[in-house]
Amino acid sequence: MLIYVLRRILYTVPIAIGVSLVCFALIHLAPGDPLSSIIPEGASPETVAQIRTAYGFDRPLPVQYLKWLGHVVTGDFGTSIMTRRPVLSEVLPAIANTLTLAAAAVTFGFLLGCAFGVVSGYVAGTPTDRAVTAVSITGVSIPHYWLGMVLIVVFAVNLNLLPATGMGEGGSGSFGFGWDSLQYLILPALTLSVIPAGIIARSVRGTVAEVRKQDYMQTLYAKGLPGRRVFVHVVKNALPAVLAVMGLQLAQLLGGSILVETVFSWPGTGFLLNNAIFTRDLPMLQGTILVLAMFFVLINLLVDILQTAVDPRIKRA
Amino acid sequence: MTRRSFLRLLSAASLTALTMMSAQHDRAWAQGKPGVLRVAMTAGDIPLTTGQPSQGGEGIRFMGITLYDGLTRWDLSKSDKAAQIIPALAESWVVNPADQKIWTFTLRKGVTFHDGSEFNADAVVWNLDKLMKKESPQFDQSQANQAASYFAPIASWRKIDDWTVEITTKRVDAVLPYNLASLFMSSPKRWEELGKDWAKFAEKPSGTGPWMLESFKPRERAELVRNPNHWDKTRITKSERLILLPMPDANTRVAALLSGQVDWIEAPPPDSVPRLKQQKMQIVTNLYPHIWPYQLSFLDDSPFKDIRIRKAANLAIDREGIAKMLGGLAVPAKGMVDDKHPWFGKPTFQIKYDPAQAKALLKEAGYGPDKPVKVKVIISPSGSGQMQPLPMNEFIKENFKDVGIDMEFEVMDWEALRTRRRLGADAPENKGRHGINNSWAYWDPDIGLIAAAGSFARVPVGFNWGDYKDAKADELALKAKAAFDAAEQNKILAELHTRLVDEAMWIWVVHDLNPRAMRPNVKGFVQAQSWFQDLTPVSVE
Amino acid sequence: MSQPAIAVAGAAPFKGKRPATRSFWRNVLRRLLQDRFTMICFGVLMLIILAAIFAPLIAPHDPYRTSMARRLIAPGDARHWLGTDELGRDLLSRLIYGGRLSLFTGFTPVLLATLIGGALGVIAGYVGGAVNMLIMRVIDVFYAFPSVLLAVAISGVLGAGIGNTILSLTLVFIPPIARVAESVATQMRAQDFVEAARATGAANWRIVTAHVVPNVTGPILSYASSLISVSIVLASGLSFLGLGITPPEPEWGLMLNTLRQAIYVAPLNAIIPGAMIFVTSMCFNLMSDGLRSAMDVKQ
Repeated sequence: MLIYVLRRILYTVPIAIGVSLVCFALIHLAPGDPLSSIIPEGASPETVAQIRTAYGFDRPLPVQYLKWLGHVVTGDFGTSIMTRRPVLSEVLPAIANTLTLAAAAVTFGFLLGCAFGVVSGYVAGTPTDRAVTAVSITGVSIPHYWLGMVLIVVFAVNLNLLPATGMGEGGSGSFGFGWDSLQYLILPALTLSVIPAGIIARSVRGTVAEVRKQDYMQTLYAKGLPGRRVFVHVVKNALPAVLAVMGLQLAQLLGGSILVETVFSWPGTGFLLNNAIFTRDLPMLQGTILVLAMFFVLINLLVDILQTAVDPRIKRA
Repeated sequence: MTRRSFLRLLSAASLTALTMMSAQHDRAWAQGKPGVLRVAMTAGDIPLTTGQPSQGGEGIRFMGITLYDGLTRWDLSKSDKAAQIIPALAESWVVNPADQKIWTFTLRKGVTFHDGSEFNADAVVWNLDKLMKKESPQFDQSQANQAASYFAPIASWRKIDDWTVEITTKRVDAVLPYNLASLFMSSPKRWEELGKDWAKFAEKPSGTGPWMLESFKPRERAELVRNPNHWDKTRITKSERLILLPMPDANTRVAALLSGQVDWIEAPPPDSVPRLKQQKMQIVTNLYPHIWPYQLSFLDDSPFKDIRIRKAANLAIDREGIAKMLGGLAVPAKGMVDDKHPWFGKPTFQIKYDPAQAKALLKEAGYGPDKPVKVKVIISPSGSGQMQPLPMNEFIKENFKDVGIDMEFEVMDWEALRTRRRLGADAPENKGRHGINNSWAYWDPDIGLIAAAGSFARVPVGFNWGDYKDAKADELALKAKAAFDAAEQNKILAELHTRLVDEAMWIWVVHDLNPRAMRPNVKGFVQAQSWFQDLTPVSVE
Repeated sequence: MSQPAIAVAGAAPFKGKRPATRSFWRNVLRRLLQDRFTMICFGVLMLIILAAIFAPLIAPHDPYRTSMARRLIAPGDARHWLGTDELGRDLLSRLIYGGRLSLFTGFTPVLLATLIGGALGVIAGYVGGAVNMLIMRVIDVFYAFPSVLLAVAISGVLGAGIGNTILSLTLVFIPPIARVAESVATQMRAQDFVEAARATGAANWRIVTAHVVPNVTGPILSYASSLISVSIVLASGLSFLGLGITPPEPEWGLMLNTLRQAIYVAPLNAIIPGAMIFVTSMCFNLMSDGLRSAMDVKQ
């Protein structure tokens, strides 16, 4: 077990290096000059060259990469071209906001997904199962940004029940557990939750159907165990897989909330990324993608280890 | 557990949620507070707060003229005529008659920064050093980047006495006072106190403007409060507090206004206007120095080298139709500047919708609907001042098709398009592109006419993208640069504009009406004919 | 937008016992034909696909023809059944034509990724050793990005356009497909009949085409089919962000993007393209589900 964990951690290192290489290469594939957005109107060629040197864009690529990597390892992700603030200090609060949103979405998704999944798993193969599955497939089929738009029009504008955008009167700084904060979370989290809901429902359905088919379940039934006890068994067996799905979904949503954050002006990483793309703030873009990908790798690692710990039946090479 | 009990549980849960929602339903966000003005900007981030704001015109509007003053400023108190330059931190100025490159500015006495320190000639010199003197300790590259086009004409500066400053321009340049309105004065004392650190200064900036920054959070909000000690007592802010919220998505802004989360939104999309009006929102519009054009290439491979094709293109566009599509939030253009502007002049070429004449001109040039002339232009799906670029371009493409111009698009994002414009039509990247749809400002004579048309002002030094060359335009442009009397300068600029329209230098389409929408309880706003607006007289009741 | 890792975990119907045969596929087809639910979805999809293919014959109006006098007519109009868009163009015609690009951007990345990812996976699995190591570690690196993030990042950096959209989506889909292919191919390698074929001196490519590819096809197909809907939704999302298809081409995501500003004056018109994306993606998902259960043969 310990050896597996160590190996798994060790294995993450080359992946991380690969990820950094991709992030670095990505920026240098970009058409147009990364400096374009800061070079003032009417700048002379000398000024342009000067700024280029100041930002280090004049060195050969491998040198730029190693230099950049050296900085990254020490926690220096560069400085935003647009704001001149350190990238890391911009990304971390944004990640916290996105995590808040993603966690809420996964929680909603868990509740909805389990409800749908268990129902259709229990009656696998029947028309009811097909109908419930269809509803849960809606989650992965619907363009969720579009759903967000519709929810805003209905609940924020027409019914005036919930706020349409942002994180509250005081912004993310004063976001807390009170209703005055949480009401801002409901619409975006609900919108975002349709994806994990659909995926969790499918996964739960599969597991529940599988578990119910297994011989010992039939035995339990045959023994005349009350339905509730059988249900507990099902849950026990299905839980590790579902938790893993939730972990992975949380990780996916870190990068996947960009559309919803744009629609709801949620000040998370997606909003940051969208901004960076449209202002061609390449250091910011690079830093955000890198930090998000690293988080993703890390969460995947944790999920893997936890899953192995919870369910020792999973043996990996 | 049975299926039924499950469904029961589910419905119970959702019922609880609904009850919670309605029971605890205090919609604090839906009610504005008197004295607090909440504004949704189109920018995606809070503009730089150190003095020279980022985010272009919008940055200056909300983070420049709010916190800071320049030596001069725009008079934004009138809505019925183009905004003019008036004295601000400089009370008056004179040009040395012997050497017209030398300007002497007399500063206003009794002005203090937000931190209480005094504004004087040392502060002016310190601030110009901040932007232009690389060796000075307070030099700030990011502010210099933002201000470069404004300080470009300045060669040197010095203090004469505590209340007098002398500025020398590189060449005779009567446009200087326009530029000075966008060079803002930050407090040297505050910068010293904060350990000479611009990053810290950004958190706690200090200027002389009518508003003071209380706090800001990147990409979320900035809170500004009234400066009760502002030097101009007529411009003490009516609102206690100004909250700026970046909301780049137009629909989000509309939703925020309709649900009561903000009091004021910039640039509502035209199709939202009927709904906004229905909910009693005020829609404020006015002309401002903005034009939505195609800037043209005059290189050998460009069909637009032929004036007949340029004129035909200008005559082929149904501008009323576009204005209608834009919900009346635009007016048809008759040239670079609007026809009430002092620089409009008396062009003989009437820009209007006349497809028959356009066809005739094209026929003369050897083209027609059955043998269309092919042009390729660069457009963007969004961007500051670009209005609704996609539907507008698609509409014009259809107009062109009717007369025999086959327009092809190259679509790229706004920053990429700006880069292409800065490169000039003859850059390899722009090979085969005959026009670029980059919205334009004419807030000062340089950007509006002189440097857009002068053959001496090719990009990146000036704004002449397509290598337009016209000896007569050059002569008028240089003459305007050297005219120090405002009336005289306006007269020459009108002649220049007449020439440019008669030559159909660009394809001019519409002027934006700069729409804003506000809740009914927002009072006192006067929309000036400018990219900038004064928020000091605005109150929320 | 779906999480590939989950589908990978779910998509391993191959039990490693029996090489796929013609009769296996015949069985799958028979099961599919019996599955009424899947057949309905198939019918709806065929309708959309055929309409897109024969758009010039079916579309009642020119999808590019603008008219300011007729803009944003509500659905239900006698002349424009589904109303018109912000430029007065017929929505039904644009939806029909829009199917071309939307379906194209849905299919192409999945097709390309299936070919490339499948080939990479089979090579890695069959050859094994250092080659496997090299290919799979590179795949792992791309797999280490959240899928939406990767698509947005690539499109954001390269800029808008159909080519870039397809490129970025293909890159997103290659890793999971390669992983499925690799795991099956690795299992195949150890199979008796493959060993036997090797012992008789059969050429590697013969073994691969005769034994490995037919067996890999099932799992990949089942998995790839679930990606089509992801691809359609993701591509429309890119268009929505302004990173996808460029105008004036009709495409559902782009139509949604430009029409959404009209959501307050013409809500139905603004909602229709989104509903179209939804229905199509839903049908693909249900089809994929049907295919999976039809292939999930348990004796």
